[in-house]
Amino acid sequence: MTNKKCVAMLLAGGQGSRLGVLTGKLAKPAVPYGGKYRIIDFPLSNCINSGIDTVGILTQYKPLELNDYIGSGKPWDLDRSNGGVHILPPYQGQKGGDWYKGTANAVYQNLGFIERYNPKYVIILSGDHIYKMDYSKMISEHKSSGAACTIAVMQVPYDEASRFGIMNTDSDGAVYEFEEKPKNPKSNLASMGIYVFTFEKLKKYLCEDEANKGSSNDFGKDVIPAMLNNNEKLMAYRFSDYWKDVGTVDSLWEANLDLLNPKIHLNLSDPNWKIYSRTNALPPQHITDSAKVENSLITAGCCVSGKIDYSILYENVTVEEGASVEYSIVMPGSVIKKGANVKYSIVAENVVVGENANVGVEPDYNGGDKWGITVIGAGISVGKNAKIGAKQMITENVSEGEKI
Amino acid sequence: MRRSAVSAIIFSNSNDRTLKELTENRSMASLPFGGRYRLIDFALSNLVNAGISNIGIITKENYRSLMDHIGSGVYWDLDRKNGGIHVLPPYNKGRTNKGYFEALMRAKDFITRSNCDYVVTCESGIVANIDITALVNQHLESNADITIVYRKASCADKYENTMMLKLDENKKIKELVPANSSAESGNYTLGVAVFSKSALVNIISSDENITAKDFYLDILPKYIDNVNLFGFEHDGFVSVMDCGKSFFNANMELLKKEVRDDLFNKERPIYTKTRDDMPTRYGIYADVSNSFIADGCIIDGTVKNSVLFRGVRVKKGAVVENSILMQGVEVFENAKLKYVISDKNAVISANSPISGSDRKAFILKKNQMI
Repeated sequence: MTNKKCVAMLLAGGQGSRLGVLTGKLAKPAVPYGGKYRIIDFPLSNCINSGIDTVGILTQYKPLELNDYIGSGKPWDLDRSNGGVHILPPYQGQKGGDWYKGTANAVYQNLGFIERYNPKYVIILSGDHIYKMDYSKMISEHKSSGAACTIAVMQVPYDEASRFGIMNTDSDGAVYEFEEKPKNPKSNLASMGIYVFTFEKLKKYLCEDEANKGSSNDFGKDVIPAMLNNNEKLMAYRFSDYWKDVGTVDSLWEANLDLLNPKIHLNLSDPNWKIYSRTNALPPQHITDSAKVENSLITAGCCVSGKIDYSILYENVTVEEGASVEYSIVMPGSVIKKGANVKYSIVAENVVVGENANVGVEPDYNGGDKWGITVIGAGISVGKNAKIGAKQMITENVSEGEKI
Repeated sequence: MRRSAVSAIIFSNSNDRTLKELTENRSMASLPFGGRYRLIDFALSNLVNAGISNIGIITKENYRSLMDHIGSGVYWDLDRKNGGIHVLPPYNKGRTNKGYFEALMRAKDFITRSNCDYVVTCESGIVANIDITALVNQHLESNADITIVYRKASCADKYENTMMLKLDENKKIKELVPANSSAESGNYTLGVAVFSKSALVNIISSDENITAKDFYLDILPKYIDNVNLFGFEHDGFVSVMDCGKSFFNANMELLKKEVRDDLFNKERPIYTKTRDDMPTRYGIYADVSNSFIADGCIIDGTVKNSVLFRGVRVKKGAVVENSILMQGVEVFENAKLKYVISDKNAVISANSPISGSDRKAFILKKNQMI
């Protein structure tokens, strides 16, 4: 095995429970995004574009779909004879085995994988975010500062800072304190969950963390604070381009529609920084005579005869005549029948919305918490003339004329 | 059947001359078609969908774009340890293949070395989703030496450069004649056939065939009496590329649902090279109807009855009607295109009007600026 400068470890085991029915059958990193992508395409494409060709993907929750999607790693050019992409599920050894207890424990259990490549640095990534980032710049800052760990941070509005892990830094970017969801934030630099470690240090602190029975084995809660206590040099790396956590229904919906927002610059086919994905062999889309399409993204295999506005149609979606889809995302294989209206909704894979059904409602800014995005789970059938209100999460078939 | 029982040969330059403007710098096999494909995708996918993974591609000239498209063959799952894609370039002291037969003779090594019992041969100027598994099965059941694929048609309009088969009730070929436009109805060959290896090797080893130019026209009729020649009917969509008009019409046929459902059969998908484009973006001024559009386009103008390939840009106020725009074409503000076939990366500047007619489309060359 040739030595690698940097190995990436991608944490993809989370359940993503706040996405509810959308992660009922698949892990969060495998959730479809942007018409033809999945969330994990972003860290994987960032890796290959940054020159990192050795990636371990730590899986635990519902890995079937994700494993299938990653396959040999070919779509990301990560099918390598030396390095490449490796799926790393929890395993049993001679002394037994364990599920991954936390993010740090997941990496700890796979130190053997990292050691095979004898890297100088390890970058820890998560499969929950939509962003384009050149990790090689972060690694070279890490190298020149001589830090034990460099943490990517971005500025968030102060009134939202208490939702994040906040890094308090000196003027030179050295981190002196880490506060998880502080009530009174001292800074607005939020951790993005991206860490570059010098491998020796990572190994040392992971072993110590594992020996500490009281630890929750989490990078943010345990490892980073332990390093700060030991006066290790921790640096913040500032990032200021588009970055979005897609951990909730609303943020997933927003992150999709951000692709249509002319004020947000997120070009996924920039030849210098393409986002790659596994695609199916599908013919181009057909927009028929009766269609009215504006301000939308539509991809291969779709057949559109209805009205589409401010929406994203994924592969193989059919929208029949007289139907409308507005401010919504419709995932692969779903069918919106004649006369149905879908608005402010996420329609998951292979859903059928029956004739003249109504799904979702316009925002009611006076309605407080009552309004929200409506979600229809994968494979659900919504009967004719059914009516589904705001903020519903539909997990069972809806019968004809039913009102929810 | 064992994995390597069937090999295949694709002729990449068939009928090049008949589509001059579009095949000036490329082979027929690499002619772009249907928004995201090249013609060879149909032959390759048909073969791969029948489990055939040892495929030779005979090239003659202008095959740079073809090599670029095929690469390692990975998009068709043809990057194999055993078999896979073999490009068979011309090597005979500068002489290039004169016809089908001579090309086959050059491929003789590929055929004899391959560990197969049957060889499927395909022309590349045909757009069809042909069930090659059924073809091979029929060939085995009827104990044929050669089985030729045909399409029944009520007139020869679309099949002028093909052959017509006269069959008995068991589909054995009685007569093989050039199609002529006066014929009312008949069985027209599609340039796809399966040979038992020994029959094929015998034919291409015979010295007396060496001067023949066309396999179907000059060779096969001689064998009717002593070789088992059968026909296999393909009853799905077919388009034979033999002139600019047929290219235009075949693309426009994709606007019909029944044609798309047949050609892009979900059980036998058509594979092609991927480009990792974003989905197509429709702007607030977009007005699109009855069009077949590939990924990666940005449309903010009017598009009607047209086929748009990957990465086409149609700016605000521009109008594209009854046109075929290949990969990367840019149509600037208020340009008007009617009955235009534009080759790759052409640029149509603001306010330019360009029109052909329904009888003859206006052809823009690759990288042309107007």
